[in-house]
Amino acid sequence: MFEVVNKLILTEGIKRLDIRAPRVAKNVKAGQFVSVCCEEGDERVPLTVVDCDRAKGIISLIFHEAGATTKKLGALPINESLFSILGPLGNPATIERKGEVVCIATGIASAQILPIARALRQAGNKVIGVIGAKTKKKLMLEAQMRVACEKIFITTEDGSYERRGLATDVLRQLLQTRDIQLVYAIGSAEMMEAVCEMTKKKKIKTLVQLNPMMVDCMGMCGSCRVRIGGKTVLVCTDGPEFNGHQVDFKDYKIRLNAFEGHNQWQGQKLQQLSQRNESVTFRRFLSGILKE
Amino acid sequence: MAHCPLGIAIPRFIRYLREGDVANAYQVIKEANWLPAVCGRICSAPCEAACVLNEEKAPIGIRALERYASDNGRARPIKAKEHKGKKIAVVGSGPAGLTAAAQLAQKGFQVTIFESLDRPGGILRYGIPEFRIPRKVLDQEINEIKALGVDIQTNIFIGQTITLDELKKDGYEAILLAMGAGIPKFMELRGAHLGGVYYGEEFLMRVNLTKSAPFGRNQSNFIVGKKVVVIGSGNTALDCARCARRLGGEVTLIFRRTEEEMYVRAEERDLAKEEGIHFEPLAKPVEILADQNHFVAGLKCVRMDYADAGGNNQWQLEPVPDSEFIIDVDTVVIAIGHRPNSLVSKLSSKLALNKDGTIKVDQTTFMTSVSGIFACGNVMTNAGPVVEAMASGKKAARGIEQFVLQVKK
Repeated sequence: MFEVVNKLILTEGIKRLDIRAPRVAKNVKAGQFVSVCCEEGDERVPLTVVDCDRAKGIISLIFHEAGATTKKLGALPINESLFSILGPLGNPATIERKGEVVCIATGIASAQILPIARALRQAGNKVIGVIGAKTKKKLMLEAQMRVACEKIFITTEDGSYERRGLATDVLRQLLQTRDIQLVYAIGSAEMMEAVCEMTKKKKIKTLVQLNPMMVDCMGMCGSCRVRIGGKTVLVCTDGPEFNGHQVDFKDYKIRLNAFEGHNQWQGQKLQQLSQRNESVTFRRFLSGILKE
Repeated sequence: MAHCPLGIAIPRFIRYLREGDVANAYQVIKEANWLPAVCGRICSAPCEAACVLNEEKAPIGIRALERYASDNGRARPIKAKEHKGKKIAVVGSGPAGLTAAAQLAQKGFQVTIFESLDRPGGILRYGIPEFRIPRKVLDQEINEIKALGVDIQTNIFIGQTITLDELKKDGYEAILLAMGAGIPKFMELRGAHLGGVYYGEEFLMRVNLTKSAPFGRNQSNFIVGKKVVVIGSGNTALDCARCARRLGGEVTLIFRRTEEEMYVRAEERDLAKEEGIHFEPLAKPVEILADQNHFVAGLKCVRMDYADAGGNNQWQLEPVPDSEFIIDVDTVVIAIGHRPNSLVSKLSSKLALNKDGTIKVDQTTFMTSVSGIFACGNVMTNAGPVVEAMASGKKAARGIEQFVLQVKK
């Protein structure tokens, strides 16, 4: 079960895995995620289901190789099996017929916005896509987004492709010139905060998806707690979609920051702190093909 | 015997042990209890509190005897009776779910357990640290239940992967919800969102998930500082404290009450003290102090003491004025209890809830407001010891049996 059927390298450090998980593929809706465990005893990673093939029972996941667990996941060869995939988790995105809709995402989050843009378009909305990246090289899923959206704006921070600037600059122009009914924003906390500030003035409904650290993804641990409208809620069971105007972004940034090994811990990196005193050869032997 | 929620014939098994007949003693325990090795280690032992020898000196160590019998005794394998062709689904493989499933399988039903995590055991595997229940012991107990014919399907989250309606369509005649309690109680404490603050469940789950595999080459993904404070006075708090101690921290346990009023057995308390955990009773946290990077820098507490505020002989815990003090810490673990499981209302809108948010059940049959759906364990009581959950699992199994056989007629 859960075997890798296909693997693609999208850009530097970003990979796509197609995994056979018929039970997940059967019920998954846009905006939901799965909790992936690569090997027994590993940390679980929540990943958004970008695409699914219901007939074949295959789901696609896109992730950034940031930590030890995602690196291990990226090193999986085709035909290898994962230990466990649990899902679909979280609430599906609210898809309504609104009229003109802007889907804005930066970086890796364009993978998260893709299924939502598709679903919104299918519901009869006019979808305008705005995706941003640092450079042309880091831009991903451009072709898919071009098909999914009716109109697309691409920005790069250094101007190496299409227009120069931030994705939020394009949104500012769009809000002035067009009659937008809904803004769907996914990305870094700073970007989502900027979008929400912009739309709050014009009273445009804004939906965001939050990606805090999770442990069990089922509402037991309380690791993914965020403050929404003055109340503490869990992203895994009450989210991941929230009304952007109610999210306390200051609190969200602190929660995101809480798991980055910080000065507090004497400048040591997380991995060094927890490394065990095994002999190096033994560990390399166990690690197999995985690079340390 | 009357004081054991599971109804183990305690005098009988002790008599067998006195005669040196461990196998028969184990058989007697196994008749009433499907997880004797687990209970022998972590049971809250209401039987010992009720022992008549309490008046003289100390009670009989029934829990230790049970552990001895289950570690050393081998029972005759219990043969599963023929299937009556009735399918029953159990949601959750914690103590309540496992007990109910085993009970039903022994009666001859075809039982399937749906577990959302990758291995069965529920709280026994992911909530209780390995030094209290070795995973080997737990696996052995679960394998014995599997041998009865119980099918355990992992990685299935009922309500999301498969809905209750789909389960009914698949031909399950009764569904037992044994999903346990829910979200940790969020503490209205300033600074609870800072880096370095964990809730008890999160802390234990991180420890248990990353350490469960032998030869694991995984790296644990969280940081425990040098000075840890655990808030709470229950078993979860003690487990967190002992885990943190074993991970190399200096641990202080803070709670509002006195040591004698803690919700744990004196034995566990002494074990924790032996490991070097510093107890700080009669103290209430007021605020978690932050440094400039939004990590924990300290914990401000206030002393509590019994005071007769109204002057009418009602002594209650009140904060002592001007007694605030600051503890120098870098990690705070909050373990103050659960809230009712909020996922129940998501499963089906028809399920009626009590006022406090727990699921509403019939007290004799354990059936919920929806016909054919039953509930047992902490999902309906919110908080309770493992034995109570197992006992309710047994009772629910009886209710299901009656219900399924009635439908047949």
